[in-house]
Amino acid sequence: MTGWLAGIGTVVSLELRQRVRGVAWYVLLGVFVALVAIVSLVLAASLGSWTDDAGAAIYSTVVYFVLLLATLVSPALSGNAINGDRESGTLATTQVTLISTPQLVLGKCLAAWVSSLAFLVAAVPFLVFAGFFGGVRAEVVLVSIVVLLVELGVVSALGVGLSGLLRRPLFSIVVTYLTVAMLSVGTLIAFGIAGLAIQTTATQRYESFGGPTFEDWDNTESCTVQEQEITLPRFDTAWWVLASNPYVVLADAVPTTFDRHGSPTDLFGVVKTGVRSAQLPVGEQDPREYDCDPSTWGSYPTPEQIVATTVPTWFVGLAIHVGLGVAALAGAVATTRTPSRRLAAGSRVA
Amino acid sequence: MTDESLPIPDGGVVVTGVARSFGSVHAVRDVSLHARPGRVTALVGPNGSGKTTLLLMLATLLAPDRGSIRVAGADPVADPVAVRRVMGWMPDVLGSWGSLSVRTSLELTGRLYRLDRDEAKARAEELIDLVDLRPLAGQPSRVLSRGQKQRLSLARALVHDPRVLLLDEPASGLDPAARHSLRVLVRRLADEGRTVIVSSHVLAELEEMADDAVFLDAGVTVSAERIAATRSVRREWRIRSLAPDALGAWLRHVGVEPGDIRADGPGLLVAVDGDEAARDLLARLVTAGVPVISFAPAVGDLEHTFLDLNGRAAEPQPHISTEGGTA
Repeated sequence: MTGWLAGIGTVVSLELRQRVRGVAWYVLLGVFVALVAIVSLVLAASLGSWTDDAGAAIYSTVVYFVLLLATLVSPALSGNAINGDRESGTLATTQVTLISTPQLVLGKCLAAWVSSLAFLVAAVPFLVFAGFFGGVRAEVVLVSIVVLLVELGVVSALGVGLSGLLRRPLFSIVVTYLTVAMLSVGTLIAFGIAGLAIQTTATQRYESFGGPTFEDWDNTESCTVQEQEITLPRFDTAWWVLASNPYVVLADAVPTTFDRHGSPTDLFGVVKTGVRSAQLPVGEQDPREYDCDPSTWGSYPTPEQIVATTVPTWFVGLAIHVGLGVAALAGAVATTRTPSRRLAAGSRVA
Repeated sequence: MTDESLPIPDGGVVVTGVARSFGSVHAVRDVSLHARPGRVTALVGPNGSGKTTLLLMLATLLAPDRGSIRVAGADPVADPVAVRRVMGWMPDVLGSWGSLSVRTSLELTGRLYRLDRDEAKARAEELIDLVDLRPLAGQPSRVLSRGQKQRLSLARALVHDPRVLLLDEPASGLDPAARHSLRVLVRRLADEGRTVIVSSHVLAELEEMADDAVFLDAGVTVSAERIAATRSVRREWRIRSLAPDALGAWLRHVGVEPGDIRADGPGLLVAVDGDEAARDLLARLVTAGVPVISFAPAVGDLEHTFLDLNGRAAEPQPHISTEGGTA
């Protein structure tokens, strides 16, 4: 077993030395650090003075930045790990050694993951910086970092897996990007389209004080009732689409702290509230402001109430992501295994 | 050159009736060969005759569709790890980890062969000297020339001190000095008891280091009979004499048709029907007191067989010839 792991270690060190070297990589990290620095400072300057929880907002924003940048860069590093080696003639020379195909594939995946962690490492100073502004809780740090690590691992696994399944490096990089984009942006689009495609008509009731004439406008005794047929998008039928969005998974998994108004204190909580409210049946959010009973004014459910009355989905999304990553890696192992029996048309072994 | 009567010890490579196709392309149709320990076996054949495909199957990278392969007694399909332990493969495609130095490349290859850190380091240093890359040991391998990469590739194949060596076009891109040292090295590796299979287009090169030859034609090993047949085919012999000016007259005197004699630099080329006739001609020249100093095939044996199998032996090949040996 230790020998098996040592083999993976050799592949990782080979990959890290061979792939992620060079000035461009450090320039990219530098740009990332500059970007995160600007965002952190702006948030600190604007929020720091008037809320005790500014740290939570800064922290969550920085973590989102790491997720964004790492998923934007990682496919370029991992998406040609196997077929790129094949093209440059270094895959077969590795395969004739005592390294097994699972060791090779896992080693490449691990190396891609480690290199995407560079963004997290570069962001650590800003996460610590956020801590000084208060509101950053241990459980938030723990959960968000674990979920972030898993998501970055999934992107690495997808890239390496697709580079084994697909023959041409450029194509597998593009497909990796498309898969990441499908999960990150595609789920949002699908959610929007599905919500709009499925619409229901509802009767909206507007109650207002005052009569039809200007003189009656502040007559609190009279109550005018208007009814109107409107069509409503049924986002409550499409909310589950968002469950597989990595940003949603991250937000939904992190335990949210609410302030005394029931509002979330960090960006994770804001995203979580937004996504969870899509679960609410359409119609229950009737504008009660337009009600002649002042006691119900402003009685929208608070974010805290919305979160409390809806179901969490992060584990479903995370399971889908991990499943995709594992399937991609397993596929890559199966197609890269030697001695190979089947070869795609027009390809070479070495 | 293949002597079928030799016993086949365990350490060699035995291929029996192997075939492999890629879709509709039958790269290897029916190949059988025995490569013995302590000997260099040349794999000769035109482009596309299946040499590289065969070597890929021996190197545990490709599974054959039919037939059986034993490399040092192990089956590359059933037990690739056993084969990889004892087999070194130098591919025809030059692949190197461009960002890694020569030294690091060799060390990591050693680690991939499960050498521990110190062993891998020591082995890398040995190999750097062996293939003469000492001045470039710290350079990233992308700056190496083609020939230098070729030597790195050879060193990589030798990392785990394999008993069976598969060299696919090892001499391509090498300068004459490097070719010479490759020849000496390959010879030495074989003399130490290893089984060496070399494929090359540089037939004169192979001629000097190979003990046995296997000819491939359209994915099929050429039979011993067909190879023997090429021995009796008319070919040219280069004859040089201490008295070059009189050589022509002497040749006509011992019965050579003037039409069979061509001038060739310092000597003459004489067309002769097969090895027996050549032996007779030499005997007659010596008996007649002609001061012959060189009497050799104008084209090496491998090249002659290769060209003949390709149906081109009939054409005169005046300038591609290389010294095959000196009588």
